Amino acid sequence: MKANVLFIIFLIFLTSVFDTVNQLLLKTSINSLESNVNSIKKAFYFIAKLLFMPKIWLGFLFCCASLIVWLFALSKADLNFAFSADSMHYILIALTSRIFLKEKVGLWRWVGTFFIVIGIILLTYSNA
Amino acid sequence: MSKRRVTLKILLFLVATDIFETLTQFFFKKSAMLQSSFTFKNLGDTIAFMKPLVFSPYLWLGFIFVFLTFVLWSTVLSKIDLSVAVPIASFSYILVPLVSIYFLHEVMTFLDWTGIFFILVGVVFVSMSSGKSKVSTQ
Repeated sequence: MKANVLFIIFLIFLTSVFDTVNQLLLKTSINSLESNVNSIKKAFYFIAKLLFMPKIWLGFLFCCASLIVWLFALSKADLNFAFSADSMHYILIALTSRIFLKEKVGLWRWVGTFFIVIGIILLTYSNA
Repeated sequence: MSKRRVTLKILLFLVATDIFETLTQFFFKKSAMLQSSFTFKNLGDTIAFMKPLVFSPYLWLGFIFVFLTFVLWSTVLSKIDLSVAVPIASFSYILVPLVSIYFLHEVMTFLDWTGIFFILVGVVFVSMSSGKSKVSTQ
């Protein structure tokens, strides 16, 4: 694979961004609904309500885009490299949850994120 | 709100989730290999890129395992906490490279494994905190 490792990292980053947007859209949609689902009937209504939200379908579009970019990345990269580097979505989720959802991100999560960054840098360096 | 402890059955489910996740990526990779020399010139090339993939059984086998992974993972999460499930499920970060070596003949160096080790530690830390910072629903 040697060549173009930064281009592949960019593709995987793009996959992760699309997936993160999808997750944020899903999460904000679900947050806006009553979450007290304790029976099959309520679960059915819950899903039915979700299906009528435009955000869910927008999320689905991002999900498809994420898959296509991922397949394109896989057509260029070794699977072991791409799969490991894809762990960067943990970082994006942590950052965006804090910024857009105002969720608290604990110290351990930042430490974990730091470890993931080091791992990806090592892999990138090793495959460059 | 802590859920039940990890039983042997849940552990088996988690291992199966890892295996299904690995198979998903293996089949996605197999389908993507059909287009290993494809270059994008504009967004319209997306259809040309996807066409042979959509008509190959590999992509659909991948989708089947996506679905199976989802079903198993949902079952597991209904039994145990996410912060317990994620570290065990991270086994796929080792399984995928092993499958890549044995079935896709990819070469891995010591530095690659070191990188994966760091990622694995990172994923465990990231998931550990979710249990502690969770807002109580009681």
